[in-house]
Amino acid sequence: MNCSDWEERIALHAGGDLPPAEAAEVERHLRECAGCQVLASGLKQSLALLKEAHHEPLAPAHFSAVRARVVAELEQQQRRGSLWARRRPWGYGLAAVAVALLVMLALRPERIPVAATRQPLSNVRGSDVSEPRTLESGMVPNRPPPHRRVARRKVNREPAPQPEPLIVKLQTDDPNVVIYWIADRKKGD
Amino acid sequence: MKALALLATVGPMDGSEERSEPAALPLEAAKAGGLAAFELLMRQHERLVLVTALRLLGVLEDAQDASQEVFLRLYRNLNKAGASGNLPGWLYRVTVNVCHDAQRKRRVSASVEDAGELPAPSADPQRVAVETERRRALEMSLRMLSQKERAVLVLRDLEGLSTEEVARVLGTTEATVRSQISKARVKVRDFLERYFRRRT
Repeated sequence: MNCSDWEERIALHAGGDLPPAEAAEVERHLRECAGCQVLASGLKQSLALLKEAHHEPLAPAHFSAVRARVVAELEQQQRRGSLWARRRPWGYGLAAVAVALLVMLALRPERIPVAATRQPLSNVRGSDVSEPRTLESGMVPNRPPPHRRVARRKVNREPAPQPEPLIVKLQTDDPNVVIYWIADRKKGD
Repeated sequence: MKALALLATVGPMDGSEERSEPAALPLEAAKAGGLAAFELLMRQHERLVLVTALRLLGVLEDAQDASQEVFLRLYRNLNKAGASGNLPGWLYRVTVNVCHDAQRKRRVSASVEDAGELPAPSADPQRVAVETERRRALEMSLRMLSQKERAVLVLRDLEGLSTEEVARVLGTTEATVRSQISKARVKVRDFLERYFRRRT
């Protein structure tokens, strides 16, 4: 067996990490191999030197500095904690108001038209005038009609001296869909 | 009151880790809520934490920062640390983790002269010179090692943990620890041989 194959075991043996059987084997090899003896003694010496240096005591001031920093940090955290505890009633009140607002927003009816405005017929383009229904400006129907896409067509306007119909523009949640309610006016309205 | 009663049974604070003192008493007292009890717990384990951090990081100021973080984590996890049943083991594990995090953030190595303590002015100059040389050799040889090799060597050879304990602290197997420790020892021996040959 080559001596380099012994290196790992000799290094383990130097630190007392081998089971007795393997340790005896390594010691047998060391008695026969001068090169490995040098390696083994070098390993033991370096370990001894490291341990000596490691066990030199540190100045107590280094420990007390750490302790002081930790205690100061913990005291600060405790002060912050007690400050929060004093403010807690306010915190709970604010949280309750915030929750109430959120609930109100969540329960809001979804499809309420945002605005209902009166417009003259001349401003209306592409309106469906086939089913005129009466609706007063500002009224909100119980069930809004389904959104319908209407084909563009020209509105034949005769120069008849009829009264201008009532136009109610209803804006839906969809910005592309606007509903116009057109109602005939009776004479005298 | 419970904390004070437990504190009274612990004894004097001498600023060093007391291995013979039962660790459970100040731990229980600290869990009961007293900062004074926690300070006593720190005194018992501060050598373990600060010296291990110093060997892993090589710079005293960094080691103090790491120790502060370790003790703050201990305070936040007193129940968990107590439940582990092995507070020193828990502290070694957290110290190694905190130091590895610090090394990842730092990346820039500091000078060797920053590590360790300054000698007292009244000390024997020859003795101081020998100790300084030895400390320098220790710091430099630890720097030759990879992060894992250094952790294994510090815990096994310097702190004196068993191979099994090192494996548990580092979350690895005993076979891996044995492989890493043998490589680390050979590297350190080669470095020290070159180092002292150059000096003489």
